[in-house]
Parts: sequence; C-alpha cells; structure tokens
Amino acid sequence: MPSTTSTVIVSENTSNGAAKKNGQAKADGAIAKRAHYAPPWADVSIIGIAGSSGSGKSTLSQAIVQKLNLPWVVILSIDSFYKSLDEEASRKAFRCEYDFDAPDALDFDVLVDKLRDLKAGKRAEIPVYSFEKHARLEQTTSIYSPHVLILEGIFALHDPRVLDLMDMRIFCEADADTCLSRRILRDQRERGRDVEGIIKQWFNFVKPNFEKYVNPQRNVADVIVPRGVENHVAMTMVSQFIKQKLLEKSTHHRAALTSLELTALSQPLSRKVHIMKQTSQMRGMNTIIHDIDTSPEDFIFYFDRLAALLVEQGLNNAAFVSKQVLTPHDKPYLGLEPAGEVSAVIVLRGGASLEAGLHRVITDCKTGRMLIQSNIRTGEPELHYLTLPKDIDTHASVLLLDAQMSSGGSALMAVQVLVDHGVKEEKITVVTYSAGRMGLHRLTQVFPDITVVVGNLCLDAEERWVEKRYFRC
Amino acid sequence: MSDSKIAPTQSVGPEYQPESKKPTATVSTPVDFENVTVLPQTPQLIALLSIIRNRDTQRGDFVFYSNRIIRLLVEEGLNHLPTVEHTVTTPVGRPYEGLSFQGKICGVSIMRAGEAMEQGLRECCRSVRIGKILIQRDEETSQPKLFYDKLPDDIASRWVLLLDPMFATGGSAIMAVEVLKSRGVPEERIFFLNVLASPEGIKNFVSKFPKVRVVSAFVDAGLDEKNYIIPGLGDFGDRYYTR
Repeated sequence: MPSTTSTVIVSENTSNGAAKKNGQAKADGAIAKRAHYAPPWADVSIIGIAGSSGSGKSTLSQAIVQKLNLPWVVILSIDSFYKSLDEEASRKAFRCEYDFDAPDALDFDVLVDKLRDLKAGKRAEIPVYSFEKHARLEQTTSIYSPHVLILEGIFALHDPRVLDLMDMRIFCEADADTCLSRRILRDQRERGRDVEGIIKQWFNFVKPNFEKYVNPQRNVADVIVPRGVENHVAMTMVSQFIKQKLLEKSTHHRAALTSLELTALSQPLSRKVHIMKQTSQMRGMNTIIHDIDTSPEDFIFYFDRLAALLVEQGLNNAAFVSKQVLTPHDKPYLGLEPAGEVSAVIVLRGGASLEAGLHRVITDCKTGRMLIQSNIRTGEPELHYLTLPKDIDTHASVLLLDAQMSSGGSALMAVQVLVDHGVKEEKITVVTYSAGRMGLHRLTQVFPDITVVVGNLCLDAEERWVEKRYFRC
Repeated sequence: MSDSKIAPTQSVGPEYQPESKKPTATVSTPVDFENVTVLPQTPQLIALLSIIRNRDTQRGDFVFYSNRIIRLLVEEGLNHLPTVEHTVTTPVGRPYEGLSFQGKICGVSIMRAGEAMEQGLRECCRSVRIGKILIQRDEETSQPKLFYDKLPDDIASRWVLLLDPMFATGGSAIMAVEVLKSRGVPEERIFFLNVLASPEGIKNFVSKFPKVRVVSAFVDAGLDEKNYIIPGLGDFGDRYYTR
C-alpha cells in the first residue's frame, strides 16, 4: 500500500459539497464589453510526485509545503481516490490479499475530473478514503483556489490524462530495503497491521507491481529524486520551481488588474451601481464618521446606523414576488415577499464592520466569511480563508459586504469566489460604505450583472481607515 | 365603503430592471401636499408592510418588522432638520466637506401605540428626550380627550418628532399638535411620523396645520364606516403589545 494520507486542505465538509461539480460559473458571453478577470487560482500548476511505496514521496511533499508555508500550495494524495471495495474485495483486503498496489485499485476517472475542476478555478470535492473500513466515507474534503497543487502517490504519473495536466513530474526512488523497512514501521504504527501481513503483501503485490507499473513511470518523469527528503538539492530545486510558478501567477494577476484599470476610466458608471442619495442625514452621518475628532462611541453608533441603511438599500435588489395577504380587517392587500433566502458574505476584516447593521435588518442572516488581504509588498489581493453557507448557490440574493473599495482588487476576487461557488452574478449585491470610481468601474466591467450599493464616493486610492476606526486597531 | 376606492397597483423594483421583471404590488395612494412626505415605495418597504399587514403574522415578527419601517421613517423625518455646512479632517488627513445639524430635538409619543415607535427613534438618536401624551376617545361625545401629558420643560425650543403609527381620521394627532402649540412649539417645528395614513386623515390634518411636516410609510386607500384604515393592519398597539 502507498504512503500516508495527509492532505492539506482548504476546508472540510461533512456532507454534500456546496459547488456543483461543473458549477454554474460559466461566464455569460452574450454581454458585450465584458472585461476578463483571471484570479491567481484560475490555472493551477500541478506537480506530480510518484515513486515506490516508502520512497519518501509524501515526506518530500510535506517538507516542501512546510518550507514554503503558503496557504495556496496544497498537497493532494492519490490515496484519496481508492475505489470503494465490494464485500468480497473487502474481505480480501482484511486478509491482506487485496492488491492495493495496482493502478486498478484507483479511480483515475474521478481524479481527472477533480483536477480539471481545479484547473478551471472551481471548488473540488475530494473523496475521503478510510483504510480501516476500506471504503469511501460520506464526507468529502474541499480544495479551492490553490495556486500550486502537489499530487503525490505511487501512481501519480500513471494516467496519461493526469500527465497532460502537470507542469512538473517527479519520480522518487529509494533502495528496496529502505522502502520495506519504512513500510513495516509505518503500517504497524499507523494502520494497525501485523508484520506477517505486511510482508505477505509486500511479496505478493508491492514488489511485482513495482516492476510492472511503478518503475516504468521513470520514463515520463522530468526529475528523478534519489534519497527523498535527505536530498536537499532536489528539495531546493522543487521549491524554486514552485516559487517561480507563484511569481508568474502573481505577476499575471497584477498585470490583469492593471489592464482593467486602463480601460476603466473613460466610461460612465454602470446603471447597477447605486450611490446612496446624499440626504442631509446621510451627509450629517458621513461628516461624523469622517471626522478624525469623533469619539469611538459616536463613530461606532453612527457607522452602525448608516450600515443598516446600506443593507436596507442592498435588499431592494433582491428578488421579490407578488403576494396577497389578508389584514386583520379581512381585507386583501397585494404586497410582495422575498423570492427566497437572502444571505450575506463578509469580506474580512472590513466587511465585519457592517455586520451590526446587517443583523438589525436580518437578525438571523446566514453569513459566509472570507479573508482577503493585500500583499504588503506587491499590493496583490490574496485569499487566505473562506467559509460559505453550503447551499449558497440556491439563495435568492447574496449580499457581499466590505467597508471600503479602492482599487476593487479584493472585491473582484470576492465576487469571483462567489461565482466559482455557483452564485449567479445577478443575485450578487456588493454593499460597501465607500468606493472610488476606478474600483467600481473595474468591478462592473468584469461582472456587469452584479449590483453595487455605495454609501459615498471617495478618492481612488483611499487607505482602509474605516475598519481601523471601527475596530479601534 | 373603501373597497370602491382605487388603490394604485404597479410594478415595483429598481429602475435598471425591465418592467417585465418587476413584481406587481399595491403602492401608496398619491397625496399632493407640499409638507407630506411618503417613503419611496421600494420593494423592500412593500415587503415589510406586507408582513405587518398580514393577520397571520405573529407578534415577534410584527415587532421586528414594524421597527424596521419605523427606523426608515425616523431617518426620513430627521432629513428635514436644518443643517449648516461643516468641514472636517478625515483620519487619512484630507478635508471632508460635510454638514452638521442645528437645533435640539425631542420625541413625543401618543400613548400607547406611539410608544411602540420609541425604540426606532432611540436607535437613530441616542438619549433623545421623549414626552408622552395620553389621548382617549370620550365615551359620551366620541371626541378625543386629553387625559395626560408629560413633556420636556424646554419643548418650546426643540424640534418635535410626534409619534403615532396609525393616522386614520387624525383626531388624536390634531389634539396632540394643539397641545404642543399650547406649549409654545411652532407648527413648522413639528414632524408627525406615522406608518399608515388615510387620505381623509391627511387632508383634514393639513387643512388645520399646513406647516406641520407629515412623514408616512404608506397612504392606504381610505377608511371604512368605523373609521378604520382599510386594508390597514388592525390595531397597531394590540398587535405590538398584547395580541
């Protein structure tokens, strides 16, 4: 059997996944002038690491990921793709007579599907395989938005369809004695097997399969790494390669953001951008909020009050249907009701300042959260954390809350995340306290069908001062 | 009977939406008086009103959703306060040309339904002074009669937000304004905030106090023979406090 299952994950689902396999993320090509935005995860780089059982593949992958320590470099173990066994095969497996070390034991079709989803920038639900039960579990593990994915397993370089998706192919090798001794230790400790069974399996399956299927993968590898983790030169080389790939993606992403900037300015704002009417109350509250001498108590009070008005306005863009009600006088009134559930997604940390306002309007609003931060050096927005309601693609309207939008980079990324999770553009309403024209242009050029509610227009490159004031740090 | 009166029904939704995509609903009956403001008939407001009108709505929801409407009423009412230009420096160091409000305000609720609007007022104006007036219908004359009032001493120098959610014939509101005027509050410094109004009530009230500002969420088709607003929402105080 192959090496340990230790998959770095972005999030974990206990039952069904949120995004449909093929999603509804298809961009609506019908609209003219739609600009294109490619998030940095749109074209994930895949690195394959194959090699004999016990050759140090997973140790090597984990060492690389640990060294880089970035949330967007993720390991996917091919062990997750073991086929569920039927009763007879399962009995064999418990007697150590089932051949886990042949390619047939793996479900390559599902693997290819998942890799293609990831390549397309979508969320992939990865099956979870239990070695104790010899079956796939109900729950799945989600992977979404990695920039680099390391696919690790004895047959990582086996299927030609998988090979086609890879940017780098590595084959790890180790002395057969080393492999066997590592395997005995691991299977005893981690998988509760006895030595006799392990040795039986080794000579019946592992060794013959190695000759037949594993070793030939050398021929398609770009790099052959002897001695696994101890091989520092190889480790550095692979890390360098990944860093190079990450840099390319970041450069691309930033260039794409800049080019959107250039085309944005000359046009009028989209009709779906609603700037709050500057009534005297709005201006009065804005004055208090903008005043550096306002006390923290007043700032929070007036910001919450204004946030509730922003959310009220945001809800006007939700879908409604006619509904007749009877009043206590037995008279009919033809009114409206929401067409379905309204949920919200907070872009952290700024968006959390609108949360008090949100809950004044919808007390029990389901709320997803994502942390997008600008890289201190490059200014590039980066997605660090994401949790969304599972059924978000079925909601009638989704409010995306952020306190401020300047260049629009993080808003673009946030909307892209929702679209990737099957939320239709026309159901998305971005609600923000203040925004610059540039950011609004960029956002609505890429996503012309979303609605944007803005408290007040500000300069283009405004610093994020609102959240600092609201959270007082 | 009011059923013969025409309630305007039209499509409701944001302007960028094509008419065919907007759902249809009954909106506020138009009234044409300079000092009467009706909230914009947004789909959200109509949906909120649909909830509190519905006789099947439970008290908890009635309280929550009527409170949301009341907050919108207060926000609109406050817009009519006088302001003065006021430039401040922002945390990032640029100037912001804003404005500040002039004058002190207070609330006056007509007991008991008007008191249901106090929470909404407080959510917009912390620590606002709130006076109370108790007016009840005299059994013998069936005219409204003043039973109790407790108002801020300096009310004559304040802007007054008069609170009563149901504006049917306007009998109690007229009496309340008379009380306020007798304490020295000029008409033009009174804002009367209500959730549901009737065209008859508005007409009657405006002819007596043309300078009082009226802010309503919705003007219904009319009154029935018992002077209830129709289709209305029932007894606001009962639904908010005891039902």
